[in-house]
Amino acid sequence: MPSLSRRDFLKIAAAGACTAAVSSAAAPVLAKEVDPLEQFGMLYDATMCVGCNGCTNACRQWNNTSPEVVSGLYDAPKTLSVHTWTMIQLYQEGDTYSFVKRACMHCVDPACVSGCPVHALQKSDEGPVTYDPDRCIGCRYCMYTCPFHVPRFEWDAVLPVVAKCTLCVDRVKQGLGSACAERCPTGALIWGKRGELIAEAEGRIKANPERYVDHIYGKDDAGGTSILYLSSVPFEKLGLDNMGTEPIPALSERTGNVFIPSILIGGPLLLMATRAIAKREGWA
Amino acid sequence: MNILAKKLKLEKPIPWTFYPLLLLTLLGVVLCIYRLAVGLGKTTNMNDAYPWGIWISVDLFLIPVAGAAFTMSLIAYFFGRKRYEAIIRPAVVAGFLGYGVVGVLLFLDIGRWHQFYNIFNPQYINVHSFLEEVSLCITLYTFILMLEVAPVFLEKFNLKVPVQFIENSIFFIAGVGVVLSLLHQSSLGSMFLLMRYKLNPLWWSPALPLMFLLQSVVTGLATTAVAINLIWRMRGLPIDRDLFRRIGQAMSLVLALYAALKLGDTMGSGDMELLMRFDSFSIIAWLEIFVGTLIPMAILFSRLVGHSMGPFWAGIFVLIGTLINRLVVSWIGLTEPSPTPYFPSWIEIMITVGLGAGAFLIYGVIVYYFNPLPDPKAAHS
Repeated sequence: MPSLSRRDFLKIAAAGACTAAVSSAAAPVLAKEVDPLEQFGMLYDATMCVGCNGCTNACRQWNNTSPEVVSGLYDAPKTLSVHTWTMIQLYQEGDTYSFVKRACMHCVDPACVSGCPVHALQKSDEGPVTYDPDRCIGCRYCMYTCPFHVPRFEWDAVLPVVAKCTLCVDRVKQGLGSACAERCPTGALIWGKRGELIAEAEGRIKANPERYVDHIYGKDDAGGTSILYLSSVPFEKLGLDNMGTEPIPALSERTGNVFIPSILIGGPLLLMATRAIAKREGWA
Repeated sequence: MNILAKKLKLEKPIPWTFYPLLLLTLLGVVLCIYRLAVGLGKTTNMNDAYPWGIWISVDLFLIPVAGAAFTMSLIAYFFGRKRYEAIIRPAVVAGFLGYGVVGVLLFLDIGRWHQFYNIFNPQYINVHSFLEEVSLCITLYTFILMLEVAPVFLEKFNLKVPVQFIENSIFFIAGVGVVLSLLHQSSLGSMFLLMRYKLNPLWWSPALPLMFLLQSVVTGLATTAVAINLIWRMRGLPIDRDLFRRIGQAMSLVLALYAALKLGDTMGSGDMELLMRFDSFSIIAWLEIFVGTLIPMAILFSRLVGHSMGPFWAGIFVLIGTLINRLVVSWIGLTEPSPTPYFPSWIEIMITVGLGAGAFLIYGVIVYYFNPLPDPKAAHS
């Protein structure tokens, strides 16, 4: 019996080639490689924060988000939401307490950007992770990929958008810093280049080692973030978990680089081989 | 009923079961339009802590179930098992309907459906995104299944030329289908690789793509065993026991591979300690292991594999196991600290039921009025 006719071979080979062509469609133009230390970011020193929520209000005024009146007269959001892109939470256990500012961390290598099917989320050269509603299909994969639980959804809208801190990308384009850092009255939140902020944080820990946990959260955590944290209490208590130093997308992208080409090339070859063997051995 | 059948010039009267299915389908369609018109917030209970609801869970379950189509293509066309060609059509028709439901649910689920076509825009496509890859593969694969299903209808209307064309290129068509399936079934698992800090560690693993791939083959075989058994009974055909035994043996082989992978992964990652805690997640994990893997393996590795109901029941257990797995991965085990609980709204449930009823109705019509099962004698000759 002939093992595999030329006709069959061509058919299966063409099948593989066709699949390959479609799956590896035009690669996107990725952001130019910029030294993450040169990108803008913020340093939040939890030991200096008095929890005044000035940052929350500055954010509201600049971005026109609506207050969330929880009880009585107070704008008191409990978590991030489509209306609240940054806010202060309180950690308290016995006599120890600490405030913690919540907002997008603007990761150096963000999981949301890696997962977004249509590049609606992108890491800009200046540092902010930006969102483009004209690209977004509303799949909400970013909400699951973000290890910091940041992107929120406009559930009440007919055609909702994803909302999160923009790192005031519109102000950055005008040469300004973020609205929240500008407002902060105690200097707990400062704006600057990531590299300079890391140097500043290292200086503070060195000058007051008894005041701080000896770690700058975001320097290397999860591959590095543009928002850096200093704290007197362990970072896990503030909801900033230890995620190692490898960027979250690394494993996923490595897997893709191995799995997809293997299936595209190995799949058709295996199918042809199986068919050839089946024919020769006369399986039925 | 028979008057309607006569008016439509049908060969057979319409079975009464079609009417409730039609009613549920119509209700589902109305609710689908309502959801698209008013948005997700007013129609579903999804929230920021559970941004994916029951529709995504159903999709994640239906995709391996509809994997019956590619599994049977693989066996019939590439392993050269001619006798399986008799059952490939029901599997392919079911697969096509399954992917149809998946497609509609995905469209309903995305918030900005008015620009869904962005996933096909080469300028927007993110090649690193497994979600993008799954979307593209599923779309292409649905077209492949359409080609594989077409002869069922074309034959009815005696269109010999296109049928001949499809039959001549079946290895090409089926080959593309198998490759696309291997891609998206594994990528469905890869999608969760980015969720290391969201998904419960008992389910998160770097081996997720391989696990999802093996699960899809087992679930595809299970679906075939269950569905063929039911169809043959409905049509009063004699059960081909040898065929069932072979499907059962194939299932047992892949199940053993999956069990070995799962065990190795649990031992290697240090999740054994979590599994032995017997808290709620550990109990769900044990339930999944027993129902989805150990019980069907016990059936299939015993003499029951030769009994006509052995592979059927093993299939039922596998399907329940896969359902548990997909519910955990997309809902119960996938969350953030102090979440607002989620349970599907009646609209979410009725849309799911309506689409399911629609798929069953179409399947019923095909089984009843068309011929998805070629004459078994003809297939052997």
